[in-house]
Amino acid sequence: MAETADTAAEQEEVLTDQDIVTGAKEPSLKPADVKAPELTGDIQIPHLVKGAMAKSKCHAAKPETMEAMGFPGRLVDNWEEAAVKKLGELLTKYKSLQVYLDICVRCGSCTDKCQFFLGSKDPKNMPVARADLLRKVYKKYFTTEGKIFGSLAGAAKLDLELLGEWYTYFHQCSQCRRCSVFCPYGIDTAEISMAAREIMDSIGIGQKYVNTVLVKLHEIGNNLGMNPKALKATMESTEEDIQEEDGVAVKLPVDQVGAEVLLITPSADFFATPHIESLIGYAKVFHQAGISWTLSSTASEAGNFGMFIGSYEHMQKAAMRIRKAIEELKPKRLIVGECGHAWRIAYAFWNTMIGPLDNSLGLKLEYPRPQHICEYTLDLVERGAIKLDKSANDDVIPTFHDSCNVARATRMGDRPGGQFEIPRALINAACNRYVEMDSDTIKEKTFCCGGGGGLLSDEILDVRVQGAMPRMQAYHAIKEENGANFFALICAICKAQFTKVFPKYGIPMIEVGGIHQLVAKAIELGAKE
Amino acid sequence: MSFELDGKTYETDDDGYLVNLDEWNEGVAGYMAEQEGIDMTEAHWEVVNFLRDYYQEYNIAPAIKILIKEMKKMFGPEKGNSAYLYDLYPAGPALQACKIAGLPKPTGCV
Amino acid sequence: MSGLTIFFVIYAYVAIAVFILGFLYRIWKFGKTPAPLKIDQTPAPTSDGGVVGRMILEVGVFKSLLKSNRIIWLFGYMFHIGLFLALLKHFRFFFAYGPGWIAYITTFEIYAGLIMLFGLIMLFVLRLVVDRTAFISVMNDYLLLILLAAIASSGLIIKHFSRTNLTTVKEFILGIVSFNPQEMPSEVMFIIHISLVFLLFIYFPFSKLMHSGGVFFSPTRNQVDNPRDRRWVNPWGKAPENIEIASNMTQDEG
Repeated sequence: MAETADTAAEQEEVLTDQDIVTGAKEPSLKPADVKAPELTGDIQIPHLVKGAMAKSKCHAAKPETMEAMGFPGRLVDNWEEAAVKKLGELLTKYKSLQVYLDICVRCGSCTDKCQFFLGSKDPKNMPVARADLLRKVYKKYFTTEGKIFGSLAGAAKLDLELLGEWYTYFHQCSQCRRCSVFCPYGIDTAEISMAAREIMDSIGIGQKYVNTVLVKLHEIGNNLGMNPKALKATMESTEEDIQEEDGVAVKLPVDQVGAEVLLITPSADFFATPHIESLIGYAKVFHQAGISWTLSSTASEAGNFGMFIGSYEHMQKAAMRIRKAIEELKPKRLIVGECGHAWRIAYAFWNTMIGPLDNSLGLKLEYPRPQHICEYTLDLVERGAIKLDKSANDDVIPTFHDSCNVARATRMGDRPGGQFEIPRALINAACNRYVEMDSDTIKEKTFCCGGGGGLLSDEILDVRVQGAMPRMQAYHAIKEENGANFFALICAICKAQFTKVFPKYGIPMIEVGGIHQLVAKAIELGAKE
Repeated sequence: MSFELDGKTYETDDDGYLVNLDEWNEGVAGYMAEQEGIDMTEAHWEVVNFLRDYYQEYNIAPAIKILIKEMKKMFGPEKGNSAYLYDLYPAGPALQACKIAGLPKPTGCV
Repeated sequence: MSGLTIFFVIYAYVAIAVFILGFLYRIWKFGKTPAPLKIDQTPAPTSDGGVVGRMILEVGVFKSLLKSNRIIWLFGYMFHIGLFLALLKHFRFFFAYGPGWIAYITTFEIYAGLIMLFGLIMLFVLRLVVDRTAFISVMNDYLLLILLAAIASSGLIIKHFSRTNLTTVKEFILGIVSFNPQEMPSEVMFIIHISLVFLLFIYFPFSKLMHSGGVFFSPTRNQVDNPRDRRWVNPWGKAPENIEIASNMTQDEG
């Protein structure tokens, strides 16, 4: 017995390859110690501080989590060979990966565009430098140029140190695609970081946060792990709250077969604050429009972190719950709540992965399939089907943060750019005093909140606080200039991220909220004329 | 990760949350509160007990709105708000109250 | 035929073959790799015609680069436009009797070469002096700029300072393209110029210069924004009917 214990103690002293890559034995970050940069209203391009973020690593997923996802439990012995093989496989499946690894000329135009670089000053957070971590390996094993010229061409062997850098820096990318806007070839670092994460999962080193959430999503139907009983109890409690506050019996139905609308919304809307205020907003809109609607207790999540780890398979499997819910509940319309990456997957991927979303599933063809809740509500307002009393929000001076996935990977309405105009039009319909942040920080040039792409985890709060810096500067500037006091959003991750980082920057978290939170306040409930 | 208390070893996850819910007792809660720099008053215990009861029933922590509503019942309307909740647990109900109550850390976009 | 000619005829055919076959192979590879999902960068055009317009703006005026960084855009554009005009000018070597418009283009020739060379030099300087680009640059980035600058410089010297007989150059090139090799002109600057050009031909398909063809295959730029209206099919994706998901809840105890 004593001998075994000794051996175990000795083994703890020796760092395994897995420990080195994931920094498992390094001291954990204390969220309370994280300090925010100073707010000046300016976004400065920093000088490089090499290695500034090298130690900021995500927790690694536990073996049981990895295995539940169908990945090896821990770093496999032949990881170099296995990683190269996986990269080879992905190169035959993704045009984006093949083209983007090949055609970067390192012109440098993306180098000052990433919020994580601007906030952290670490040069490996420059999009091209991040992508080069994978490109090096691609060159070494897959290109003639790399085989002949080696490091002169920027090729490098995948060794333990480089794998550790993958683990660090591909988990400091929120896949927000801001770099891609400014690239002369549209190189999308999100595609590269998805591939790198897929490779890492396949050799047994996955990130804890995303993989744990996905296991819950697959097993229970949402990221929280909220079972149907808890969901129903929470909805009933919310109905009581609305009744108490507004004196109106607004319902939040669950699993109603034959309802006109199936609402797919992020599960954070059932749990967190301020998210739940937007849920109340959706419910009031449906109530006042007189449309029957329902949530599904088994497809109780719009979010789909399968995208963050680049796994088509997991993304499709998670999305299948929604198809099953459509088949079971037989709605005529499919509407998606306030969630950024979910809207990307719903808008751009659902039809491919779980479609066709058409009358074969009983959906009515005259409506967009799926439809964003902002498209739906604004249409009701414009047709006069619901009325908003703007003066109810006169204490609020809102501005709008374009969430990265909505802004750069989707559309609302019929015209390009509707994803910018429709949310703004809806805020303007609900408020009198809308103000706009600096034009270099909004619409397609919007900065990520700093918590997207699976980074919404506390052990990398330093990364998140720094990544939020450009947006915080822009918000600070508009506060100084126009007194803005409400930061309107349509993304669950953005809401969670900003409620966490606002206080770090000395701004009250109460200023963060959804667009439908404003709608909920302004909507006139009661009998229609 | 793990910690020792009164001769017993308690396993925790990377963030310091108790792995086995059933191992929780008031001593564990007191120890964790101390780590978080929180002086447990009666109000703190009320929140922790409610969280635990809710978890037993629903297998998940309550929505923050539900917690606040419950606090309104427990402490009266002037204390049934999120400001008071954050007075009790400055790092937030999920980060601190759930941890001290021995519940797992809430996941997802929260 | 002189030894010099034999060497250069072989060099020429090897370089041209590597360039054409290599380029086509790389393009074929870009083309055949599937794009499983719609990942266009929005706001994106909602029609095929719109995508053509978007591409024309990207390739013609480097629209995204202009949005991003005006200094890199300026020098990058100077280099590319200079190269483009210089290439047009070189067409006269491929026709026994050149069309009139080529003669017209040749009036720009000195500017073309100088603009190209100036752009290249400035791109080199930018790479060195900006800490961010210095960090990301690898040796081949510098070597390629030097190679291109050497080609431009030798071309300018041939045109303006040396006594290379352009008629013999034309005969040599026409000989190559008509598979009827002629004597290689032996003027040193011309030998340097054409050697470097052939070197570039050989390196081209293996290098980042493939951005010239690759940009047209960039899914963020070449896809139409219409996923709600037309179903995009993933050639290797499973049909939804074949996806298994965990059957319902097991957690409802308590």
